[in-house]
Amino acid sequence: MGNILLITENDLIHSRYKKLFEVYEYHYKVCSDTVSLYDFLENAAVDVIIVDNSITSINSVLTIKKIKNKIENVQILLLMDEENQCDIELSRLCNGFISGAFSDELIISVINSHIKNKEKSDIITEKNKELADSLYKLNVLYNTSSQFAGTLDVKKLINYMLEGLDKSLSYDLTCTISFGFENEPVLIINSLYDISEELANALKLRSVLNYKSLFKDGDIPFEIDDKNLKVVKYIKNPMNKFTFDIFEYDNMFAPIDLGDNFFGCIEIFKEKSFTTDDASYFQTIVQQVSLPLKSAGLYNEIISKNEKLEKLERVKSDFISIVSHELRTPLTPIKNALSILSSGRCGDLTENAVKFVNMAKRNVENLTNIINDILDINKIEAGKMDFKYKPMDMHSVIETVRANFDCVAKEHNIILTTQEQAQLPEVYADSQRLGQVLTNLVSNAIKFTPNGKNITIKSELKNAADIDKNPYFRDYLDTLNGNYVVVSVIDEGIGIKEENLLKAFDKFTQIESSLYRKVGGTGLGLPIAKQLIEAHNGKIWCDSEENKGSSFHFAIPVSSESVSGKTIQKELL
Amino acid sequence: MKKILIVDDEQDIVESLKFVLENYNYACYCAYNGEDGLKLAREISPDLIILDVMMPRINGYKISRLLKFDTKYKNIPILMVTARSQEEDKLIGEETGADEYITKPFDLDEVVKTVQKYLAAESN
Repeated sequence: MGNILLITENDLIHSRYKKLFEVYEYHYKVCSDTVSLYDFLENAAVDVIIVDNSITSINSVLTIKKIKNKIENVQILLLMDEENQCDIELSRLCNGFISGAFSDELIISVINSHIKNKEKSDIITEKNKELADSLYKLNVLYNTSSQFAGTLDVKKLINYMLEGLDKSLSYDLTCTISFGFENEPVLIINSLYDISEELANALKLRSVLNYKSLFKDGDIPFEIDDKNLKVVKYIKNPMNKFTFDIFEYDNMFAPIDLGDNFFGCIEIFKEKSFTTDDASYFQTIVQQVSLPLKSAGLYNEIISKNEKLEKLERVKSDFISIVSHELRTPLTPIKNALSILSSGRCGDLTENAVKFVNMAKRNVENLTNIINDILDINKIEAGKMDFKYKPMDMHSVIETVRANFDCVAKEHNIILTTQEQAQLPEVYADSQRLGQVLTNLVSNAIKFTPNGKNITIKSELKNAADIDKNPYFRDYLDTLNGNYVVVSVIDEGIGIKEENLLKAFDKFTQIESSLYRKVGGTGLGLPIAKQLIEAHNGKIWCDSEENKGSSFHFAIPVSSESVSGKTIQKELL
Repeated sequence: MKKILIVDDEQDIVESLKFVLENYNYACYCAYNGEDGLKLAREISPDLIILDVMMPRINGYKISRLLKFDTKYKNIPILMVTARSQEEDKLIGEETGADEYITKPFDLDEVVKTVQKYLAAESN
């Protein structure tokens, strides 16, 4: 069996082959001019074409070229007479030759072998097409996977999935139920053509039923109802409309899930039947989107928790700020009233009255310091502390602080002296903040030093290598590099137990809390000092021997080695 | 007698300042909100103003700016009383023109010293 076309204007050839074709039961057609030839080729299937080389009404080369373009793998046989000269170009276009001198049997065998050639070529062509198609789908799959890996946005992930399915399966319509967006289930209808309201409702009902069928014997992860399910429609070509015939189309359905995590489900419709390959692409893409959807869920959870934490932190910071402000305002008239009373402007006070007015004054002072400390640590932690850096002389800071404590030291019968190295280089620092740190260190020293003992404020220029580092602070101080102005406050107080040395700078940690209670303080002074010194690229640490005394030191880099104020502020933020 | 204007919505603070400053023979005028404070400042042209920052209607920074940009009043020293609160921080940003800042809770003796410093300098 085969379809044969004979092109000849020679009646003898015509009648010989006609007989032959009839005997061997081929479908055949004989054409003698281009018009009938193209008419025939328009609709017919042809396996072998026999072209009479002697034909003059047709340009053989041109015609064969046209036919070959039109019909894939068609076999061309050139019919030659012995005296015919064959054109070289023509012979190249042909798959074989038949001579007029051939016996009928030989002709039939040549034709048959070419019919077989055509069959085999067709199979190869078909397989090639399938391969190319698979390759294309694999590419789509690969691209879709890459897209899945590139985002944690649920909306994008669902869109990538639908794009991938469209490219690989060319669906007509999909219905996707997704739980990922804005915490409410959504039905996404992606359609080639427009759909009516009724059809959309039918699709909605069908999707809900499909979804519920997934959980016949278990709990449904999200309760959904076709009445209040939100629908989003994407129409590719609104010029056409789908009818209810869509339900006759081939379809596939799959849940989008990963283990116990359920993200939605998808149904896909296509007029042409899906192949088994299509089914596996569908499964693969739908499964592949589940993992990033899970990550996206976790990611969003982290984001929202983070936002909550940040908000909480802001609320805390604002709260502290407001409370501190609200405390300052009533403190002011209390302080004023006490000051007026003790000034004697309202008459003389009795000895006991003076004692109690002073008690109240002292405690107002304490409360003020506590509020200041809390405000400071709050500002530092929020990165809102401003520093006014400029080249400055450490002597002036030390001198100011010493002068401020003169009276208090005398009251406690403590000898406060300074031991300063002459000609210290300048440091690039905020003198007010360094004064604050030194004030804190000296006031601590006074608290813990018994009457009649010494406190010394010492300053010296030291290279990082020459700084004595006790084992508790060695790692911390090892990062120092270059020259520093080191300021030390050395007392002869009760000292700090070794195991508590490191804790001294921790926030709200009180060493031997009962002791601190006796002398007062928030326990924030040293943590604030540490933050302020570190903002200057400096370090603060301490040495101590129990019952002999403590030394607190801070090191500030000398001017040329310190970084600019702006950089420091940035680091602090 | 030198005139001092005290503007603060906290009556207790105004009263204690007034008590002490009158002891030093200053004539004290008081206002308990920004609006009245500004009006009074323009009316009496005081020799010095003690001005709270956080007040209803018109805050201290604004009053300070308004006065310091007015040639008629720009020479009046202004002592700004601040509670170092976050709301105050938000108001800063432009030059306020204040001559001195006093942080709550302040020391009355310090305030008196500062007032004396400005008023003595002015009479010279």
